[in-house]
Amino acid sequence: MTKFPNSKGLSRRTLLKGAASTALAAGATTLGAPMLWAQNIKDVTIRQFGTGVSNLNDVATKVKEDLGFTLEMTALDTDSVTQRAATQPNSFDIADIEYFIAKKVWGAGNLQAMDTSKIVNYDKIAGTFRSGLLTPDSTIAQGTAPHTVGFTSGQNGTDFVQEESGWMTLIPTIYNADTLGIRPDLIGRPISNWSELLNPEFKGKASILDISSIGIMDMAMVVESMGEYTYPDKGNMTKEEIDLTIGIFTEAKKNGQFRAFWKSFDESVNLMASGEVVIQSMWSPAITAVKSQGIPCVYQPLEEGYRSWGGGLGISAALSGIELDAAYEYINWYLSGWVGGYLMRQGYYSAVPETSKEFMSADEWGFWYEGKAAEGDILSPTGNKLAGAGEVRDGGSFFDRMGSVVCWNSVMDENQYMVRKWNEFIAA
Amino acid sequence: MEPRTRSFYVLSAFFALFILFLYGPTITIGILSFQGEGGGLTFPMRGVSLYWFYDLFEQQAVGDIWGSFRRSFALGLMVMVVTVVVSVMGGLAFRRKFPGSNILFYLIITSLVIPSILISLGVGLLFSQSGLNVHWSTSGFGSQLTWTLPFGLLIMFAVFNRFDTSYEEAARDLGATPWQTLHHVVLPIIAPSLIGVALFGFTLSYDEFARTLLTAGSYNTLPLEIYGMTTNVTSPVLYALGTLTTVFSLIVIGTFLCIAMVMNRRRALKGSDSGKGV
Amino acid sequence: MKKLRNNFAVSSLLMVSPLAAVLLIFLVLPIVLIVGVSFWRATEFSIIPAFELDNYEFLFGSPVTYTVFFNTFKYALITWFFTVLLGFTIAYYLAFHIRTLTWQIALFLLCTIPFWTSNIIRMISWIPFLGRNGIANSTLISWGVIDEPIEWLLFSDFAVILAFVHLYTLFMVVPIFNTMMRIDKSLIEAARDAGANGAQILWNVIIPLTKPGIMIGTIFVVTLVMGDFITVRFMSGSQSANVGRLISNDIALLQYPSASATAIVLLLTVLITIGILLRFVDIRKEL
Repeated sequence: MTKFPNSKGLSRRTLLKGAASTALAAGATTLGAPMLWAQNIKDVTIRQFGTGVSNLNDVATKVKEDLGFTLEMTALDTDSVTQRAATQPNSFDIADIEYFIAKKVWGAGNLQAMDTSKIVNYDKIAGTFRSGLLTPDSTIAQGTAPHTVGFTSGQNGTDFVQEESGWMTLIPTIYNADTLGIRPDLIGRPISNWSELLNPEFKGKASILDISSIGIMDMAMVVESMGEYTYPDKGNMTKEEIDLTIGIFTEAKKNGQFRAFWKSFDESVNLMASGEVVIQSMWSPAITAVKSQGIPCVYQPLEEGYRSWGGGLGISAALSGIELDAAYEYINWYLSGWVGGYLMRQGYYSAVPETSKEFMSADEWGFWYEGKAAEGDILSPTGNKLAGAGEVRDGGSFFDRMGSVVCWNSVMDENQYMVRKWNEFIAA
Repeated sequence: MEPRTRSFYVLSAFFALFILFLYGPTITIGILSFQGEGGGLTFPMRGVSLYWFYDLFEQQAVGDIWGSFRRSFALGLMVMVVTVVVSVMGGLAFRRKFPGSNILFYLIITSLVIPSILISLGVGLLFSQSGLNVHWSTSGFGSQLTWTLPFGLLIMFAVFNRFDTSYEEAARDLGATPWQTLHHVVLPIIAPSLIGVALFGFTLSYDEFARTLLTAGSYNTLPLEIYGMTTNVTSPVLYALGTLTTVFSLIVIGTFLCIAMVMNRRRALKGSDSGKGV
Repeated sequence: MKKLRNNFAVSSLLMVSPLAAVLLIFLVLPIVLIVGVSFWRATEFSIIPAFELDNYEFLFGSPVTYTVFFNTFKYALITWFFTVLLGFTIAYYLAFHIRTLTWQIALFLLCTIPFWTSNIIRMISWIPFLGRNGIANSTLISWGVIDEPIEWLLFSDFAVILAFVHLYTLFMVVPIFNTMMRIDKSLIEAARDAGANGAQILWNVIIPLTKPGIMIGTIFVVTLVMGDFITVRFMSGSQSANVGRLISNDIALLQYPSASATAIVLLLTVLITIGILLRFVDIRKEL
């Protein structure tokens, strides 16, 4: 049964409420009478913060509609998100963060683990986040793979365990495979390797992002693609490997290879749209943003593969009582498909593809997930045209793209050293 | 009336160029805010429309412009009032030497020149280490005061330095108590400068970014909110916001000017010559 | 008489108490805390009280530090140079060529209006202005002055200095204007009567008398430039760094101790610079 995203069917609402309260009743928590809870829930306010990627006001509106409580969203840049998660535990209830950030801040104890038995769609979560295997014969990519930091020992555990322990650090919600973005009209020839980022042909027209945990991975992909070095584990480099990687890029920088670096999504779109840059690290929605301005831009699948990232929701350690219940309900609702469908129509992948499918049209599902040619216009959730009939998503199907992931955004053991070296790179 | 010298015209041209320079970004923002629907943040323009102005009032995909605007405005007013009051009190106190006045003076200078990021870091650390929550109306408020107070105080010092004390003496001779002197003589004379301090305080607070970066807590002020939105907003709605802010500030300054003119006229009508003491 | 003086002292102390309180809590305590934290150790996400000089050792041992401090001074110096020239000219125009107070204020306010638009929005708009396809380049090409877009207009040192001058010239104009207004006009008349021409009046009378204003403006501009981090990051396309950048990078990565160490060094540098500049002007008198 295909449902369209705009449907506000009453039956769906009551069904959801029924499902949620049933799930919670079936869970181990003891609640007061359901009627009392349903009444109080309207007064609950949940504060969520995260990057702009998923802190969408439309979600808050839908939450109010479907669940009744108020969701307050605050959007920050990646580094500020990390900071807030680690140092301001009382300023949020839900943290919408990436898995590599979770690795950094989990030890601070500001987040509590989630009981997977309370998560209705746990079994439908993509394998990448539970066992690490997308399909039974996938290989686990290098770097901080989400499943390695996805489970902990207990509700207030501060460690990571390597099996599905029943307590998740974050509930996965969104992920994607990243690569380089290019302006095909200004480049004029096919690009198929990461090493093209440092190609002198694009001198003064290249860019890379200035977020150390992510940038270093892109750098590693380029270096390996150039044949300079092969990393045993790009996600956990030794000091010498870090020196090597950053050294190569510093030299390129001094030769004027880069036009600018970008730290925020918006900057990357500007650089590409204005033609200042023709090849750069990019995030998927930035590509769609440039395209929606009518400027050709391609998210180029490359021979060596993709770098991936995953994000999820975490609950503040300070939450308890009715607010904690509301948080679980929110998470269950999040995985039940509406948000997943919304995100997928922007180019991300939902961690629970099955439920998201119900909120996408057959054409959209075919385009975004299966890599088929579009039959009609493909529109973004806000109505902008992203692709026309006959076009295929850059990179193809979900399995083509996520199956070619070779590394994840990472936090390495030598992180502090890496950060210092990164600073030197920027200052050089 | 002396005739204008040639240098007047040269300098006027120079001034005009300078104004153009200052307004460069504002003009760019103005032009781009009329960007057509499909347009982005850079040239070339894709059509001309008022679309983004309407969009500004719609709910944004990310970010809460009006909420943070209200907060910035409220914070600006709070800072403005406190700055004026504390600056006047400080200015009055510093007319004489008192124990610790030198140290306090140098502290004021330090507060002015200290890089903003230090205040942000320090206040953030202070609150987090002592277990308090950062909030825009407490820690954010205090941080912004360290920026606006020195300005206000320096202006007040300048005003009081040039203040003609014979007016106060005259009042004293006529039997006025210190409070009456303050209320009826000093305050009216320095009133125009107070407006200046108020304006300064509000402006500095409204656009303050660095000191509130780590001290605003969960709810952002407008500059912080805009900064956050740039992580996922790529539409000219930001430019529409910029243009509207310019218009808003023109209105505010116009209001202040009107108040000043009205006050002047009332003074002239009542035949007082206060304000000439400075 | 002593009682009278005591009374004044007490009332003065009372009147500055709110000021002192604010400065104590939001200036002194934070600085003390930063000094303390600069000796602590950090993990990924927390800071541990300790007393080690590691942070300072690293700071002084790294070549980046010196590059970055050098950059900071470089920007400060060049910005100062241009703001003095511009600021002096503008202030001179406003003080000596504009006759009425109303017009002076009006023109002055005209200068401040652009600053009401958020800093960040204005910075974003430099790209369409200075970029390869921006207004500046397009205009120059259409006038035939150049054939290809000028690359270094944006994301370069030029762009950084331009943005600084744009932001901070007014901070130079105000003190200089203030001092100029206090120059006794009869001095200028006397000089003219003595036979001096315009340039000589400027050089021998006006400039010496506005030195305090220039000094104060210098203090403003230099400290603002040295403490800035956003402008440098944005206008250089993140390719160039100054000390503020180092600190903000560290903060973003929760490395508060090393951020604090860098911050203390910056603070000391700024205070020393200001101390030197204050030797040339007695600020209390010149207000």
